[in-house]
Amino acid sequence: MQGFKERLFGFLFPAETDIWLAILRLGLGIQTTLYSLTLRNDWNDLLGGAGRGVSSSAVAEALLSVESHFVPRLGWFVTLGEHLGLREETVLAIAWICLLVAGCGLLLGVACRFSALLAWFLHLCAAESGGFVSYGMDNFMTIGLFYLMLSPLPDRYSLDWQWRKWRPKDRQLLGFFRRVLQVHLCVIYFFSGLTKCLGSGWWDGSNVWRSLTRPPFNIIDPEILVRGQFVFPIVGVVICLLETGYPFFIWGNKTRSIWLICICGMHILIGLAMGMWLFSLVMIVLNVAAFGPGLIRPEHAKISMQPQGAVS
Amino acid sequence: MRQKYVYAAWFALHFLLIFSFSCRETLLLVAQGPTIFPASFKSFSQKAETAVSVALGQHLAASNAIRQALVTYLHLAGIETGYGYFAPNVPGSYRLVFELHYPDGRVEYELPSVSGAAAGLRIAGLLDTIGRTPYDALREHLVKMLAASIWREHPEVKTIRAIFGSIRLPSVHEFEEGKRESYQFLYAYDFSLQNEAAKPNDR
Repeated sequence: MQGFKERLFGFLFPAETDIWLAILRLGLGIQTTLYSLTLRNDWNDLLGGAGRGVSSSAVAEALLSVESHFVPRLGWFVTLGEHLGLREETVLAIAWICLLVAGCGLLLGVACRFSALLAWFLHLCAAESGGFVSYGMDNFMTIGLFYLMLSPLPDRYSLDWQWRKWRPKDRQLLGFFRRVLQVHLCVIYFFSGLTKCLGSGWWDGSNVWRSLTRPPFNIIDPEILVRGQFVFPIVGVVICLLETGYPFFIWGNKTRSIWLICICGMHILIGLAMGMWLFSLVMIVLNVAAFGPGLIRPEHAKISMQPQGAVS
Repeated sequence: MRQKYVYAAWFALHFLLIFSFSCRETLLLVAQGPTIFPASFKSFSQKAETAVSVALGQHLAASNAIRQALVTYLHLAGIETGYGYFAPNVPGSYRLVFELHYPDGRVEYELPSVSGAAAGLRIAGLLDTIGRTPYDALREHLVKMLAASIWREHPEVKTIRAIFGSIRLPSVHEFEEGKRESYQFLYAYDFSLQNEAAKPNDR
């Protein structure tokens, strides 16, 4: 029992450097900044309430309230703004500016904890209020920002570290949150791959064709795509194997680099071929932060000392 | 050391939830089909999904404090959904066309539009929601919100007809034979500015 506990705690709390955290902070800083900038002209239209937005955040928030009154939403700020005499558009504009500032704060490493908390909270509010216009990328951003907010910030590459001499206390806690991110990615890919394996269209390649020709992801001319149709079954099977095999092959020293490069390559292709580059970016950031550090240059050189037999 | 136990307990609970919700969604996908499993698996998956849902408190009253706390945590952590994207098969997509009727008898056609490509992806997601929701009132309300946004851009329009349909994508072989994507009418709604009441003309 004692041995099991030691092994479990050894797995959950490995002493880690903060390189993974720096990658996560920088990556999510870029992600949050780009997320804000790409929505700057449509922010009010997508998230406005009744009589303003295209997606009716009022209805999305009402449906959310049926489930829970405590999930953050932009409606809280709009109500508060009304008491202060601010119009909805003004409140939404302030929320957008704050999210952009939080993204830049993460990018630079200024007030890391506060920036991470603000970015997580405001993005979550936007994702929940815009429930009808949210998609998978929003979930992964929430997951990444949630773990970043809880992790022992700042990292050594942040301005907080340089200027204020703030130092995280516990290296094992750094390892713990990296482990949480790693295990979560394993669950994500395993179930994503497993559910794809259940569909016949991924085995014969027809789902690859459908993915690439389905509006609004049809950015490559089908006339060009059809010339490479013989590749679709291979691509479909490779995607199923890569995703389902992720939790089994990402941990091994020999297979980790292959799997990580293939998964990142898959996300780059999704970004290029389907126009989902914000989705691709957040997935690459999460993967590289979780399994990238130590891949090229091992962080801890392990020296194994075996007792040698007597040589006569 | 006590701190480590707290973190380990949170880890176990957190991943129990993630794993359970992922299993639930997988069972739901099998139950809804079609999958590579035989049809007899559907009823088993349906029962198993119900059992997992009950275990996760999803059958408790919406006002139940445990359920509210659980739902709140799931949303805060971004783990309220499973990860079956484009699975088991890639779903079809939908199109919404607005027919704008001007007072002088002129008719123009518009698609829901936004400024950026990032928002365009979100509008496509909204159309999927409109197409898949089983609730007529919600579908009508979402179409109405989109129609209202068109109205703001064209305030002189007298009436708007919203025509909603699904897009049927050709297979590779059909494409080679010259078939292209086709549009199947599903619903139509007429809106006028005076009362903004929709008159649905289903299918």
